[in-house]
Amino acid sequence: MTQTAVRAARAHTGSLRLDPRAKLAMLAVANVLMFLHTGPAAQSLAVVLFSLPLLFGGKAAAGARMLAVYGVLCAVGWASALGVDRLPWLHIAGATAAGVCMMMPCLTAGMAMFATTRPGDMVCAMRRMRAPDALVIPVVVVMRFFPTIRHDYRLIRQSLRLRGFTGGGMALARRPLRSLEYILVPLLMNAANVARDLTVAGLARGLGAPGEPTSMVELRMHAVDWLAVALSLAPLAVAAVTG
Amino acid sequence: MTQQSALPTVQDTKRRLAVPDYINIGVFSALYFMIVALCALVSNIIFGVAGNLLLPAFAALLAGPVFMLLNARVRAFGAITTMGVVLGLFLFVSGHFATSLVTGIVFPLLGDLVARLGAYRNKAALLGGYVLFSFGCAGPILPVWLMKDAYIASLERKGKDSAYIASLFDHVNMATFAGAMLAIVIGALAGGIFGLTLMRRHFAKAGVAQ
Amino acid sequence: MDGTALCEVRDCTFAYSGEGAALRNVTLHVRAGELVMLVGPSGCGKTTVTRLINGLAPGHFTGTLTGHACTGGLEAGRAPLESYARVVGSVFQNPKTQYFHARSTDELAFPCENAGMPAPRIRERVRQVAARFGIDDLLDRAIVDLSGGQQQRLAVASAAVLEPAVMVLDEPTSNLDTASMARLHGMIAALKADGVAIVIAEHRLAWCTDLVDRYCVFGGGELLGTYTAREFEALPAARREAWGLRVLDVSEDRARIAAISHLECPAGGAPVLSTRGLEVGYRKRGMLRRGRGAVFSRRIPDVDVYGGQIVGIMGHNGAGKSTFARTLCGLQAPLAGTIELDGEPAHTSALSHAAALVMQDVHYQLFAESVRAEVMLETVQRGGGEHELAAARAQCDALLAELDLFDVADRHPMSLSGGQKQRLAIAVALMGCKRFVVLDEPTSGLDRAHMMQVGALLRALADRGVAVLVITHDDELAAHWCDRIIALD
Repeated sequence: MTQTAVRAARAHTGSLRLDPRAKLAMLAVANVLMFLHTGPAAQSLAVVLFSLPLLFGGKAAAGARMLAVYGVLCAVGWASALGVDRLPWLHIAGATAAGVCMMMPCLTAGMAMFATTRPGDMVCAMRRMRAPDALVIPVVVVMRFFPTIRHDYRLIRQSLRLRGFTGGGMALARRPLRSLEYILVPLLMNAANVARDLTVAGLARGLGAPGEPTSMVELRMHAVDWLAVALSLAPLAVAAVTG
Repeated sequence: MTQQSALPTVQDTKRRLAVPDYINIGVFSALYFMIVALCALVSNIIFGVAGNLLLPAFAALLAGPVFMLLNARVRAFGAITTMGVVLGLFLFVSGHFATSLVTGIVFPLLGDLVARLGAYRNKAALLGGYVLFSFGCAGPILPVWLMKDAYIASLERKGKDSAYIASLFDHVNMATFAGAMLAIVIGALAGGIFGLTLMRRHFAKAGVAQ
Repeated sequence: MDGTALCEVRDCTFAYSGEGAALRNVTLHVRAGELVMLVGPSGCGKTTVTRLINGLAPGHFTGTLTGHACTGGLEAGRAPLESYARVVGSVFQNPKTQYFHARSTDELAFPCENAGMPAPRIRERVRQVAARFGIDDLLDRAIVDLSGGQQQRLAVASAAVLEPAVMVLDEPTSNLDTASMARLHGMIAALKADGVAIVIAEHRLAWCTDLVDRYCVFGGGELLGTYTAREFEALPAARREAWGLRVLDVSEDRARIAAISHLECPAGGAPVLSTRGLEVGYRKRGMLRRGRGAVFSRRIPDVDVYGGQIVGIMGHNGAGKSTFARTLCGLQAPLAGTIELDGEPAHTSALSHAAALVMQDVHYQLFAESVRAEVMLETVQRGGGEHELAAARAQCDALLAELDLFDVADRHPMSLSGGQKQRLAIAVALMGCKRFVVLDEPTSGLDRAHMMQVGALLRALADRGVAVLVITHDDELAAHWCDRIIALD
């Protein structure tokens, strides 16, 4: 039953869906790599590995972009190192490239986590890891509220424009406090309204009822998830060998 | 039972958070995260990687009203901490260094304790709490220091002389760090006062704060 | 069908904390398979009754309750609020703020998850409820991208997913167009056929008259009377109007709308706005995808809008009404064609300068710390001499007095009632000497008296020589107050 459901889900998206916990393991490895200042071999291996969930998870464009950015950064780093003895200002480019390169494993793993994890899976993973309601509910609300903020902001900008406040950088620079006030106040007022209504809707749907809440999705670490975890350890091994 | 419509008293700061509070925290954390993300984008575009140094100060400058309104609506221990943790989680999951998670827990917790001293009503306590809370998104700063090491290592690998760059960084190091921290304090004070002003001028008058 | 009441409110009086009684000595009951409609003007207490039934009062909205309100064996004030979710499904007024998850399937599963159901049963339930209400097309979508009608259908399905014995709907149609109301009607009919006891609080009556068993008429916190559907329909229409109710049958209004939509504009004077070969819509965003054709586009028949006229813009959801309105206001560029302002082709900035928009959520367009400051906002921003400011202040006070806002001039705009906010937005438009005003659904959720007030306000606005465009689904508003209709179907 579960197997078929999982297969159906995969067939539906036509792609690989890793358990969020596997992706979390990748993030952890990425952080360790960054902390250890690993060499280019481990680094590039990590970037390639961590972009796999993107490439095969229906976000191939995002994965390709991460790889491309990494490639460009490496090229910049290499090129600036060539000329740095004659042109000291190239250190800026070199340092930036090296710095961002160092963060790329983390950023790629983060992108994989963000772009390929459904909110429902994320919540289920949090519950599985015994996160309390005090954390799970705010996270659910954050994910629900993000698109609303964008929508609100657009409406506020439109109505400001009709009031003759054309906005943009100029207005912000001329009267920063006022501009900020005119955007933040309606945004916060609406946030307060939404919080009020969401509370009522949540309570009416049994939110906060005693007893363990369950999840519609059943997360299980499948073979492919364990494989992903094992693979993500590879850069660490490479780092250990190359130093 | 919730305390939705009753005015909280000083004793209420001892009450435990309930579902309505979690929802308020979620909504305001979303706004806070948006502000931080916006600041990260803008400061990284303007200042490059070094923009991370100024990110917490920028965020502190803008997020004061969010912080103050959340406190006015919850007025109980845990709201500030949770907001910090949620931000730390989102930063970590979106690929920031794990220090984001650590600072996101420690500093908001301290800020929460300070704000509680004033029962989430005293303005000085709220302001102090906000300054501490603002250090919560200082986590992304630390990789800037790691970057220096990464760059020196990469120079050395290519057989370049790194002494020059190392000495350059050594000069800047402590001063920049102190500068960044000072910027957070100044940004948080300004942002917090701005937040309190908006509270008085708008939210208290409009009745959205409890 | 058995005679035991699933929902019983016996001699209930309720006062919210710190307020006077919202409800006095109300008694009513609903049996399985019955649909009871609570009707009456805004503030009459019908929402409070729905809250007693679903436990939100006094469980969440604290207050003092005397009498007994019993729903499926749970007694208000005694039973914990969480236990209500299995017994009562609740749907609220605003579809935009009552969903809890970002994705539709999660939203349907949400009550089951809170009830602690095992995962396979939740999936089974979600599938069943989607099939039962025919909303398979809404599964696995981002809820923010759904239309208001779709969001409301999702809300009903999510409230019904635990198969509660009772359903409570508080003004579920106030943001819906005709087609969405028809779909909602289908869902309610299915619930009723399954023997669910249904309570709906509403102003708009026409959409489900065939399903209602009894009407409970409220006024001033009291139950004025209970009528069977037949008795209620036999009442003189004037009586229902006096109760603040909307009409039972909109066919008369529709006929009038059809008549005025064929009306040609009266000659005389030059039009304020004219559109020529206009096509509105939007293109896909993103740098690389620019110019790859429109995602959404709609041809607009050429229209001329004159000062002093109220023009209704009608059409189903997705017909492009809002996009058309935004284009007229210069908030987005047309895909093709031109808009002429006073006979001259106008760019977006000129249109923005001449236009005012009263949004459906008025609170996005109020920024100042008091009503007076709101009206003076642009004047103060522009600056100017002392003399100029004094003149503006006098004009502002006159406007506020005219729009019945003078007594609240020092209050914060957000503390006003919905109607007052709307009038404030209109005062701002008048202060800015705007040539035309577009209103987006100004009467959603309003009872008859307030709807007529808005109509009169529009007329007063038009009489000042402003061209008034009103986007609406409200047949009664259109039939009573609009001079012309632009149908975008």
